[in-house]
Amino acid sequence: MTLVLEGVRYRYAGARASALDGVDLVVEAGRVTGVVGANDAGKSTLCLVAAGLAPGVIGGHLAGRVVVAGVETTQARPHELAQRCGILFQNPATQLSGTAATAWEEVAFGPRNLALPLDEVVERVEGALAALGISGLADRDPGRLSGGEAQLVALASILALRPACLVLDEPTSQLDPHGTRLVGEALGRVARELGAAILVVEHKTAILARLANEVVVLAAGRVVRAGPAAEVLDDAQLEGLGVEPPPSVRIRRALRVAGVALPAAAEDVLTGIGA
Amino acid sequence: MSAVPETGARASRPAVVLDDVVFTYPSGVRALDGVDLEVTAGETLGIIGQNGSGKSTLVRHLNGLLRPASGRVLVHGEDVAGRHVAEISRQVGLAFQDPDRQIFAGRVRDEVAFGPRNLGARGIELEAAVAEALGAVGLNGTADLNPYDLGYSRRKLLAIASVLALRTPIVILDEPTTGQDLHGATRVREIVRGLVAEGRTVLAISHDMRFVAETFGRVVVMREGRIILDGTPAEVFSEASWPILASSYLEPPLAARFGAQLALGSTPTEAALVEALSARG
Amino acid sequence: MIAVCAVSAHAAGILRRSVPLVLLSVPLLVSILLVNTFLYPGATDPIVDVGPLRPTWTGLAAALQATLRVLAFGFSVVVLVLTTEADHLLADLERRGLGRRATFVLGSTLRAIPRTSGRAGEITEAQRARGLDTEGRIWRRVRGIVPLAGPLIVGALTDVEEQTMALEARAFTAPGRRTVLRAFPDSRVQRLIRWTVILACLALLAASIAGLLEPLP
Repeated sequence: MTLVLEGVRYRYAGARASALDGVDLVVEAGRVTGVVGANDAGKSTLCLVAAGLAPGVIGGHLAGRVVVAGVETTQARPHELAQRCGILFQNPATQLSGTAATAWEEVAFGPRNLALPLDEVVERVEGALAALGISGLADRDPGRLSGGEAQLVALASILALRPACLVLDEPTSQLDPHGTRLVGEALGRVARELGAAILVVEHKTAILARLANEVVVLAAGRVVRAGPAAEVLDDAQLEGLGVEPPPSVRIRRALRVAGVALPAAAEDVLTGIGA
Repeated sequence: MSAVPETGARASRPAVVLDDVVFTYPSGVRALDGVDLEVTAGETLGIIGQNGSGKSTLVRHLNGLLRPASGRVLVHGEDVAGRHVAEISRQVGLAFQDPDRQIFAGRVRDEVAFGPRNLGARGIELEAAVAEALGAVGLNGTADLNPYDLGYSRRKLLAIASVLALRTPIVILDEPTTGQDLHGATRVREIVRGLVAEGRTVLAISHDMRFVAETFGRVVVMREGRIILDGTPAEVFSEASWPILASSYLEPPLAARFGAQLALGSTPTEAALVEALSARG
Repeated sequence: MIAVCAVSAHAAGILRRSVPLVLLSVPLLVSILLVNTFLYPGATDPIVDVGPLRPTWTGLAAALQATLRVLAFGFSVVVLVLTTEADHLLADLERRGLGRRATFVLGSTLRAIPRTSGRAGEITEAQRARGLDTEGRIWRRVRGIVPLAGPLIVGALTDVEEQTMALEARAFTAPGRRTVLRAFPDSRVQRLIRWTVILACLALLAASIAGLLEPLP
């Protein structure tokens, strides 16, 4: 078990209401869990808590347990947590350090911070770039990359710390369709090849339909649905909970409502061409 | 402030014309490479394309934020050259993508009032404009709240409301559904439908192919500063256009792809798909 | 001094690039020349009498001296700026003990400028699109301060929060000295020259304070 949240309640510093009001969640190594919900349901808070940034860096009150790779987030320093659970946010620009002349140096930022010997830094950087298939970007100026490329460099710089878990808060939200595809594919590789436990918040349920093993629905700080991705994304109540079902689910429903039968062969086509 | 265009002579004039517009940024990037576009009054136009294709540059020419290096931009038949942005914004309202890069007021109502107030509205006229705009985006009860007490979704709607309050005949929305949850996205569709019902011309930039296919009567695809496809959603997302879309890393909505696989002709929306399938029997 | 600068500039291959920058000081130099030549107080050795104007040799000499000083100063600054990469300077300073936080602050400030001005540009556009007049009369433009500065400040603060989290997520606060990516070659000769220059400066300073150096005739 790599990422565990047990009875988690969290309140931001200075806030009266809890942003998370009793969350239980487990993500195993190599599995991808998608998180969906309306915009104020607490998804971003969940990411900060899972990665240990809350309460560690931003303060606030946490009740319950959050354990990443065997370590409780309230018992470890931020740099120790950074090596167990990485986090990626929406905006590529604010995550790049802004001090690196090349993408290679940017990815080296983390390992350098840990004062690792130079040859290990090199190994980790090259490994992270290769894992995402972006070794070709190594010499580019991070400030000049497209949104999708910048997100991948930011992801690589997190992977260079070799975390066992990865939390992503709407990583494709600011990206164009190409960038979205790049990041979606990269996440698939990370889960399969690096065996990380991944928690990803997304509005684009089509991506989760392809990528996630489990999906969790958050509403008012609580988990209201949890289960295998295909099942949860097909839930009849999804729209009521503020979540847009993936296009394939919508099409099936529209056909059912119109009383149009879908031949079996067509079913396979629908599943085959996309989520 | 302008009223919605009357029918008759006004309606026959195109709302917006770009005539061989070329624009190069100081950095040397040629963002618009000879763009010709005519949008008739009351039309709905979705603009799609990769980042860097010129979409944002194009819409900024429509209210004078950017001026063409060569070529002309006409709004309701008049050249925008020599006119201040503040003046053109009586006819062209542009709502930007990031609400937090414009919200500055302490109360929602003051934020919405900013625009019309700049254009000279006062008293009852101003209050009416504010109330109408808040109603159009579904933020009626929030007038006295602090904008930052609204979540991100509703702040995005607030940004749109602050432009609707200008009551411009032409409304442009930059990525209105990006980052929105289901409720917000649904509300955006309703807003567009409402504007169309009032006879206004609506343009939007979007990465959401399904939103574009379902909401707009015309779609324009941009790439490297040029318009490479221009037509109805059925035309732009038809199988014949896929190679062109693919060259811009764009994928048609699932309904279109599914319909093509079943040889149903062009079905850019779920509704079209259902119709085509029931017609087949 | 100028000769030293010219030689090092040539050695670094930047002589051609430095010329236009040095020429930026020409307006200043021209005014120094004119003011000193024509208006040097107490000078009594005129070059020529042209009506009310009386340029003097003393003035001219003083002018040339001042001109050379300005040129020397300007040239040496130009050579420094054109031959030093800020990144390298910071990296070397860090290697010599400047902490990671100081290095980061200095380094990121350099790059923050384009981002902040980009954001400011977007805010300005959004407000102009709502009728804020930035092209008209000045008193109307003053009204734009809050709508322009407000979101910029809020945005900068939000940015700081996000960047802080991103830094922590990359172990920025880990203890110890950061791994050095590359060391800059520093030969004995370079070190010798550096120390010689510093000592020479100190010696000249001491000599001039002690009154051993005379002004030029």
